[in-house]
Amino acid sequence: MNPLSFFSGADPLSDVGPLSAPGLLLAAAVTAGAASLWLLLPRGRENRITGWLGLALGGLSLAGFVATGRRLGGIGEEAVFLTVSLVAVISAAATILTRSPVYCAIWFALSLAGVAGVLLVLGAQFLGVATIVVYAGAILVMFLFVLMLAQPTGMASYDRVSSEPLLSAVAGAVLLGLLTLAIGRLSAGPESAPTTDAPTDGALASDSLAADQVARLGAELFGRHLVAVEAVGTLLLISLIGAIAVVSRGEAAAADEDRARQRRALP
Amino acid sequence: MNALLPSLETIASLVKIGLLVGGLMTAAAYLVLLERWIAAWVQDRRGPNRVGIPLTKIRLFGLGQPLADGLKIILKEDFTPKHVDKVLYNAAPLLILAASLAIFAAIPFGSVLPPLNIPGLPDPVPFLVAPGLDVGVLWVFALSSIAVYGVLLGGWASNNKYGFLGGLRSSAQLLAYEIPLGLGLLGVVLAAGSLKLDVIMNAQAQSGIWYAFSQPLGFVVFMVASFAEAARLPFDLPEAEQELVGGYHTEYSGIRLLLFLVSEFLHMITASFLIVIMFLGGWHLWGLTGSGQEVSWVGAFIRCGVLSGKVLGVIVFFMLVRWSWPRFRFDQLMSLAWKVMLPLGIANLVVVATVEEFRPQLVEAIGHTGATWTAITGPWGLYFVGWITAGILTPSGTDNRPIRTTRPLDGSCDLPSQSLASHELAGTR
Repeated sequence: MNPLSFFSGADPLSDVGPLSAPGLLLAAAVTAGAASLWLLLPRGRENRITGWLGLALGGLSLAGFVATGRRLGGIGEEAVFLTVSLVAVISAAATILTRSPVYCAIWFALSLAGVAGVLLVLGAQFLGVATIVVYAGAILVMFLFVLMLAQPTGMASYDRVSSEPLLSAVAGAVLLGLLTLAIGRLSAGPESAPTTDAPTDGALASDSLAADQVARLGAELFGRHLVAVEAVGTLLLISLIGAIAVVSRGEAAAADEDRARQRRALP
Repeated sequence: MNALLPSLETIASLVKIGLLVGGLMTAAAYLVLLERWIAAWVQDRRGPNRVGIPLTKIRLFGLGQPLADGLKIILKEDFTPKHVDKVLYNAAPLLILAASLAIFAAIPFGSVLPPLNIPGLPDPVPFLVAPGLDVGVLWVFALSSIAVYGVLLGGWASNNKYGFLGGLRSSAQLLAYEIPLGLGLLGVVLAAGSLKLDVIMNAQAQSGIWYAFSQPLGFVVFMVASFAEAARLPFDLPEAEQELVGGYHTEYSGIRLLLFLVSEFLHMITASFLIVIMFLGGWHLWGLTGSGQEVSWVGAFIRCGVLSGKVLGVIVFFMLVRWSWPRFRFDQLMSLAWKVMLPLGIANLVVVATVEEFRPQLVEAIGHTGATWTAITGPWGLYFVGWITAGILTPSGTDNRPIRTTRPLDGSCDLPSQSLASHELAGTR
């Protein structure tokens, strides 16, 4: 997901076609990334040579992506952006490459932190912080909770062996390449202004650091997208009530069962 | 743009960070001393009063104790048990300390400095590390939820049942109490109209009515939830000494234990800062500090002093509560969160939103003073109604006798309280 956002804050890509030089570089990077993932995905037994080969290919692929992308501006900004996005990509890869479920969850949390960092660098403060609050803070803690309860020791076979490593690596790579090309085209095309009052890039950058950013986001959400927000709210309420209904039914059944067992146990 | 040279703004931020980190670490050390003094006072002992200036006989009421404590715990053997998950075992204390320190980027520790007129520096300089962060409250929320990882991973990586139980308890508790915490906070955000903590303080200073007076229910809900988030005593189940040895830091020793303990105190300081900033007016005190943005040098430091004094007061309250209340049982903890605090928080939010929505009409109808009084009396009415309802609906005593759901003869024997029994079943299962 991250190489894509690499383009969003940049100048329009002018000539990313399938046969231009950046296009070829991109294709090579995507292929290398797919090969590296295929080599590195867990297969039950360790193989040192494929491991090192996969790591080297992955590094090449990342370098290719970095080389294809456009620069953001100042050196400081660039360095921070590259750091957080590399953290996001590498830990996202590590999420599917590690065998221990707890470590997978930790890597996923790190990847989310990287994505939040990317959003912060691009000026989307609310999205960045909300990513941490919602995903890393609530959902992933719940995951960890369940993982730790379910598997205190040892790992199941489905943690050691990945199913369909070739297909999934190829599918991911194809999707990544196509999306990158499409977004590169989009930002290069004349209709690159999706919103009605889209400012230029410079104005956008200063705009996103404006003081009342959250207020504007709120006005947008509860103005243009009011119906969607209300629908989502209703959906959440329904699921909450459903969860309570399921739990209370289970509780009553368990109480009955317990009562029956105790009755049987007593003479 | 000369990117490699730090700008004046960066230097100002670095100075603020240095002040904050140094101040917080020292404060944490001396708060340990204060806590021991208060414990001694509550338990009718003398407390630590021996350590003064080293190599002399000067005792200074024991003010050298933190130094001695710190040296002792740093020089202790830093033992890593053999059965732990090394990476996470080492990462957990670092993670929790980093998160609890980074929270303070969004927490103002004063008002503003008077204009300095240095080119390149925005005037007036706020006492805040990241003044451009528009999502201050959310930032605090995000990082305090990251701190859960430290506890959870520390407990898991220790590969110890006590530590594991402590970590699990802690994550369940923090997840549950984040909801009332957020609800209490939402009322304030609604009333102030901003997520920035300095704007929230300014709003209270300008109206002169602290949010503790206009949203009493939200105040209590927030305070209880922040006690739980800081894992202070009525809610210290993650490290209940009598049950879990030390909870998630059972297997830690030496400097890594120190990191855990320091970050616990930092959590308490954060909670006190939040309570003061959001509900007790921040740097504002009637008649002493002004209410505007223009300050003299003396005024700026008086404001800092008022804020720090209030924070210290809340911390002392935290400590007194710690030494005078027993711990909750886990099911009591959970039912307090979900059955008492959550409905009360929602009620508070609804009333605050209604008042804020109709405030312009109120001002038009009955004048400014009348509207203000309505906005205060309405929530107070809710406060009393809410607590009376909660008191009536929740059982005042708990039945701790062993559950006997069997019916000896024909199944017609009644339990003392059917609902309580099934509730306990759910708790023990």
